[in-house]
Amino acid sequence: MDAGVIDIGYPELFGAAAFMLVAAVVAWALRLRQTKAIVIATVRCFLQLLAMGLLLVYLFKYQSWWLVCLVLIGMSLAATQIALGRIKGKALNIWPEVFGSIFLSSMIVALIVVEAIVHASPWYDARVLVPISGMVLGNTLSATAVAIDRLFSDMDARSDEIMAYLALGSTRREAAFPSIRAAIASGLTPALATMSASGIVQIPGMMSGQVLAGADPMIAAKYQIVVLLMVSAATTLAIVAICFTAYRKRFTSDGCFLSPALRNE
Amino acid sequence: MALFEARGLTVSYRRNGISFKPFDDISFELLEGQIVDLVGPSGSGKSSLLCACARLLPEAIGTLALKGVDSSSFSAEEWRRLICYVPQKPTVIAGTVRDNLLLPWSFRVRRNDNPPNDKTLCSLMDEASLGDVSLDRDAAQLSGGELARVALLRAFATKPDVFLLDEVEAALDNDSARSVSNLTRKLIGNNTACLRIRHRPPDGVADKMFRLENGKIFQLECAEARI
Repeated sequence: MDAGVIDIGYPELFGAAAFMLVAAVVAWALRLRQTKAIVIATVRCFLQLLAMGLLLVYLFKYQSWWLVCLVLIGMSLAATQIALGRIKGKALNIWPEVFGSIFLSSMIVALIVVEAIVHASPWYDARVLVPISGMVLGNTLSATAVAIDRLFSDMDARSDEIMAYLALGSTRREAAFPSIRAAIASGLTPALATMSASGIVQIPGMMSGQVLAGADPMIAAKYQIVVLLMVSAATTLAIVAICFTAYRKRFTSDGCFLSPALRNE
Repeated sequence: MALFEARGLTVSYRRNGISFKPFDDISFELLEGQIVDLVGPSGSGKSSLLCACARLLPEAIGTLALKGVDSSSFSAEEWRRLICYVPQKPTVIAGTVRDNLLLPWSFRVRRNDNPPNDKTLCSLMDEASLGDVSLDRDAAQLSGGELARVALLRAFATKPDVFLLDEVEAALDNDSARSVSNLTRKLIGNNTACLRIRHRPPDGVADKMFRLENGKIFQLECAEARI
């Protein structure tokens, strides 16, 4: 497969950073105060991806199950941190719930794909497991952040209604359920929109990469379909898990609702 | 024996670094068949007191008892099934008037109770002068006065032991408010009691009146409540 890959030289790679000048010029012209963020994002993009490349080279060479698992846990920890960073306002103490939801949903789906569909051997083959897990994690972290944000903002907006539900004898979950439902729906929307647009509006990342690397477009398309389906499954699992665990943070153990007025934020 | 007892109720909390204590060491009781008005200046903690009685306020401490049984013997849901708080702002869910009236029966705490049938609901609607409102009507189309009465009927339909009414007539015109007062008197049976916050002049329905001010509760003369 390497035969078809056209390598990019380092001068061209660093030259491509000039594309970020477009964003920089817009930020400067509109006084968006985003110049620092643009520089940091560009530098992080270079460093993180090159570091990942080096790590994968090392992993492919000396791969062992524990080393691959360690990398996957590290990626999940980073995904958790990024997801929490995207939640507006004060993040509640939901780190364990977010990590659990992202890690378990992504790993369950990625392992099913590796074992049952791709038939990788061994199961921890880093060349297959790591990129697949990375794609799943990237999508679940975005969906999780959207769902959590929606869950808490919807619960705040429904403060009066939640109080009325509790006053009529509902449990915490029954009072929060309309918000949980809304949060799951909003978390699923991006994944479903991507699935609907793929192949018409865009050639998704994995398929593009494989085609650029010289793979047969039909094989690339089949891989991409599997990826989109697994992303959808992992996303659903992650947001259902996080919504059904995180809503409790807005209640006391005795079932009192912590409305914005009571939270002292 | 009192139907409902509150002993040493205290609420204190901090907001933006400042400590508040709306009320401190309050005790009172409600007898069967009694309607008690709770009055006091705005911000004196009347709503907090009602929420504390319904175990809806996390910062409340003190002892609550129903028919002599301590509230700690009940789960929060079971307690609120028996001690029903009706907030000032009527909350309606998307759906018909029937959906709203039957909302409490969608909760686990009433899974073994049979929901009232249409005949019972219609007779309740008649009691509240809502006989001309169909159970199939979209609740979003009801007026403010109709919404307040539907929210009140929803609470009455659950037949709790104690009603805690948080100024449910606040947004109503005088006629609607009178209608709600009469409805309350009519539906409070011999085995129930009601504590209601009011800002209007006494309507002659209350048996007793409490005033909450400066963190303490005082009983006013019955005559004042019977005016």
